[in-house]
Amino acid sequence: MSSNAMTVKDVVKAGLWTEIPVLRLILGMCPTLAVTTAVKPALTMGLSVMFVLICSNIMVSLIRNLLKPHLRILMFTLTIATFVTIADMFLKAFMPKMSEALGPYVPLIIVNCIIIARAEACASKCGILVSAVDAICMGIGFTVVLCILASIREVLATGTILGIMVMPKSFVPLAAMQMPVGAFITLGLILGLVNFLTAKKA
Amino acid sequence: MLKAIRYYIEQSWLLIVSAFFFGLLLAVTNAAWSGKIENNKTEKLSGLMKSLITDAEKFEIVLKDTQIDLGKGKKTKTDIYKALTAEKSDAGFCFNAEGTGFAGKIELVIAIDKTCTKVVGFNVLTSNETPGFGDKIARSFYNDQYKGAPVGLLNLSKSGDDKKIDDEIIAISGATVSSTGVVNIFNNYLQQIKTHLLEKGLIQNVQ
Repeated sequence: MSSNAMTVKDVVKAGLWTEIPVLRLILGMCPTLAVTTAVKPALTMGLSVMFVLICSNIMVSLIRNLLKPHLRILMFTLTIATFVTIADMFLKAFMPKMSEALGPYVPLIIVNCIIIARAEACASKCGILVSAVDAICMGIGFTVVLCILASIREVLATGTILGIMVMPKSFVPLAAMQMPVGAFITLGLILGLVNFLTAKKA
Repeated sequence: MLKAIRYYIEQSWLLIVSAFFFGLLLAVTNAAWSGKIENNKTEKLSGLMKSLITDAEKFEIVLKDTQIDLGKGKKTKTDIYKALTAEKSDAGFCFNAEGTGFAGKIELVIAIDKTCTKVVGFNVLTSNETPGFGDKIARSFYNDQYKGAPVGLLNLSKSGDDKKIDDEIIAISGATVSSTGVVNIFNNYLQQIKTHLLEKGLIQNVQ
């Protein structure tokens, strides 16, 4: 997608399908594989990333005309790190158990490629409206994929979704689904399915 | 000279202004939420202490801001809590201890018995150790080795019987730095805590 002619329609389509971060750009793999053992942590991570993405995209868009090429990455990192710290403090203050469950993966949002990629590809070139919509759509795309992955893993590993039992009593839990191998297999199958669907469409 | 300064400011003013702005934003956020974060930490600490000394009814601070020498010129302070049963008799002591692991600071809650001769156990208060490796310091196969260990210098071994309770701690496979970090925390704190308790007459010197 040409970044010079980005419209709201373009960024909505890109964020929700054609450039959906995890499935089409293969970005943000670390949290995708690490926090998708259950839906609750996946949803929290997705919303935290969306908050950082929206704030950093708006901030970068605001200062885009003042950015010098050699300070670009430094400014992006400074902006992202500030909002990640705020998100981390919020979780520690109001969701301490979730903060503990997510552990180092919340501070690690700082190095999440999705955020820096959107700052570089969209926010540093577009106006506030387009940048904010881009952040919201990319955030939704990321959160939805995380939740789908987490739902599959949680159901197969424990028989529950959001802690509610959804499988019959005879269900035998697959412990491997809660381990890294479960994350790789599920992600691989989802990627394969998306590639199959898009190839068919093409 | 003036030209160089002007060039420097021209090139970096945005970064300097942004750093001040973001610093201010973080300071305001910290001022607003730090109380709540501390409160959560205290509640967690109290829960962890109760899980270590199960017959304790309440915990009261007997030594506040006790100075601990961490070596290499580093010093820290910790509070020592006395565990009291429902009948108001001593059930042991607890304290917060910190040290460095593989991925930054590890904070533990350590419990020792009322005579300060044996470790009752420890719980992890905060840790950023690698999931699947270093975070195993909280798991029972490693943690249980400390239950009943003598209050003295502990040694770390890469192999041995982890069921045997003595001053030998068996490291977690693949997480030697984290295991060493925990042993160092115990070695830094145990002896000094005992000395402070003896000085204040809170325990008797039993050799």
